[in-house]
Amino acid sequence: MSDQQPIRILAERSAVPGVLRSLSRRQLLSMTAIAAGGLLLAACSDGGRPSPGAVARPTGGPLEDQLSIYSWADYDDPALLSAFTSASGPKIIVDSFGSNPELVAKLTAAKGTSGYDVVVPSSNYIPQMAANGLLMKLNKELLPNLAHMDTQFAVESDPDSEYAICKAWGTTGFVYDTTVINRELKTWGDFMDAAANEASGKTSVLDDPGELPGIYFWANGIQWETNDEEHLAAAEDYLVNTLAKHVSVFDSNPANGTIPQSTAVLIQAWNGSARQGIMASSTPEKWRWVLGAPNTEIFMDTWAVSATAPHPEASHAFINFMLKPESQLANVAYMGSHTGGAGIEELARAEGLPYLDMIFYTPEQVATMQPSTTTEGIARRVDIYNKMKAAASA
Amino acid sequence: MRRAVAPGFALALPAWIWLAAFFVAPVGVVFWYSFGYKPGLFGTHANDVLSLDRYAEVLTPTFFDTFANTLWVGVLGTALCFVVGAPIAYWMALKAPARVKGLLIALVMVPFWTNFLVRTIGWLILLSPEGWLSSLLQDLGFEPLGVLQTRSAVLLGVVYNYLPLMILPLFVAFDRVGDVVREASSDLGGTPLRTFARVTFPLARPGIIVGVLLVYIPLMGDYLTAVVLGGAKGNMVGQMLASQFQTAQNWALGSAMAIMLVLMIVLSIVALGALARLIAIPVRARYRVDLMEEVA
Repeated sequence: MSDQQPIRILAERSAVPGVLRSLSRRQLLSMTAIAAGGLLLAACSDGGRPSPGAVARPTGGPLEDQLSIYSWADYDDPALLSAFTSASGPKIIVDSFGSNPELVAKLTAAKGTSGYDVVVPSSNYIPQMAANGLLMKLNKELLPNLAHMDTQFAVESDPDSEYAICKAWGTTGFVYDTTVINRELKTWGDFMDAAANEASGKTSVLDDPGELPGIYFWANGIQWETNDEEHLAAAEDYLVNTLAKHVSVFDSNPANGTIPQSTAVLIQAWNGSARQGIMASSTPEKWRWVLGAPNTEIFMDTWAVSATAPHPEASHAFINFMLKPESQLANVAYMGSHTGGAGIEELARAEGLPYLDMIFYTPEQVATMQPSTTTEGIARRVDIYNKMKAAASA
Repeated sequence: MRRAVAPGFALALPAWIWLAAFFVAPVGVVFWYSFGYKPGLFGTHANDVLSLDRYAEVLTPTFFDTFANTLWVGVLGTALCFVVGAPIAYWMALKAPARVKGLLIALVMVPFWTNFLVRTIGWLILLSPEGWLSSLLQDLGFEPLGVLQTRSAVLLGVVYNYLPLMILPLFVAFDRVGDVVREASSDLGGTPLRTFARVTFPLARPGIIVGVLLVYIPLMGDYLTAVVLGGAKGNMVGQMLASQFQTAQNWALGSAMAIMLVLMIVLSIVALGALARLIAIPVRARYRVDLMEEVA
């Protein structure tokens, strides 16, 4: 007997040739499918980096008719964007990302075909992004409004704005409900204490792997960007075994609901969204903002242009437009963050914008803020973050 | 007699190509990535050195704790959907007047056309301690609503979002049973309860299985519903997976997690199926009618 069993089919004799034909076609078909899958696999494998140089440097020629911006969600006053379009012409398309790694991955994976022009990376990503050929060198002749910027807020690694210009900077602190927490909270240590007491089960923390160990590091005088495993293990122990059980929500934008709807009473927040949340609350007087102490973070997001931007002239015109003091003031009012312009604080005061103490900080306060410099420890921090989330849901 | 025979596979060809290109190939890519590693800050994955190390990294207590929480939401959410959806589907298929059936199906479907994130955030507004429902309750002398960011809120959101996926297959299943066999059963002396237990339910069983799987499988991968309403209590394994892809940009580890998640979902379905069969054994032993024995 042979190894292959004959296939037995009950059929009309006249149908036999058709059955045989379809059998062999099916075999052929399955082989085609496998081959197609292999081609797809090959297409998805990694390749090289985007090649800059394919795009000419802008010279101040006529603007293109389009501009594509890849930024953080809801980060610019929409009225400003339409003002630029009506004044200069290019139609603006805005797309948003949620983290710097997401931006980097999109630019790297697209191999120069992302189609994005203006991008808004955080300042600590500028050196690596520039070194990896993701950013276009800015033509400062096309950016005369750069003169309105305060040099104090230039990107540390790029003081001459070769690649990036401050778009907004901010800091981390917390907001608490004074009708529930009746004492004055001043530091991250107070935050930790209140979370374990009055605010237990009503504490909101930032949904961000860097900011969570930050609470512990800032409270204990440890540089928050540390990659020392002993410090990280101590932070992990506190977050997973102590803080997690008091946390009710991980929320990076408490302005949307946590503050206005009072779903938490102690809320770690970035200053811009804390301010928006308090302004949206029906009882703004019950909330108090505290700048993180003794230390906290300073972050800066920047205007930059993708190395492969299809609309470099429009990109420069747009950035120059956004650097105008009037544009900066409109954005300060809209998102509640300092835009890094010189004299913008005076303009905001003259305009009578509310909660200025949440936007502008004294030089002494700025001195307590630590920039994030490295990005190497992200994997370990994501590990802690996931452990804390698992503990909080138990 | 000759007739033109369209080979059967010709009709299935588009589906084959579709599945090969958009299901088999991507899953293959994920499977392949899961043996690689993250090469550095600007790389998400590399496969020049293959290992099972990523799987070792996945198999931690954190993963199993999070999976246990996900399983809790998945099983309880599916069960609740069934408990709520089955009577509605039964009524729609067998009791409601024929002329309103179309309208009833539309009523089930229409909310489903709205983006589910929007619907979930709708609940967030409704349930918030300073929302209108809460103020109304306080005016009536009750406590402010405290249901948000609890497991109850997670289940509420799950039932709301997944109910149509349960009702529709169940409706079709009950509808297929039809009145004829049910009438025959009662003509032969079956009480309504016996008719349901021994005629309607067994005949509708394939639809019930479809409904349960259609809710359970997407629910196990979902994390938005749970996170929006449950906050820290709504942590799901899907969230953990997303954090590897988006935040850590470690596609190798994320892929290994994805493969493990698929395996564990399949395992849990097998386990639940085995449990259902185990429960069915005594029932079958009692009611089984063996035609061969009857004849003999």
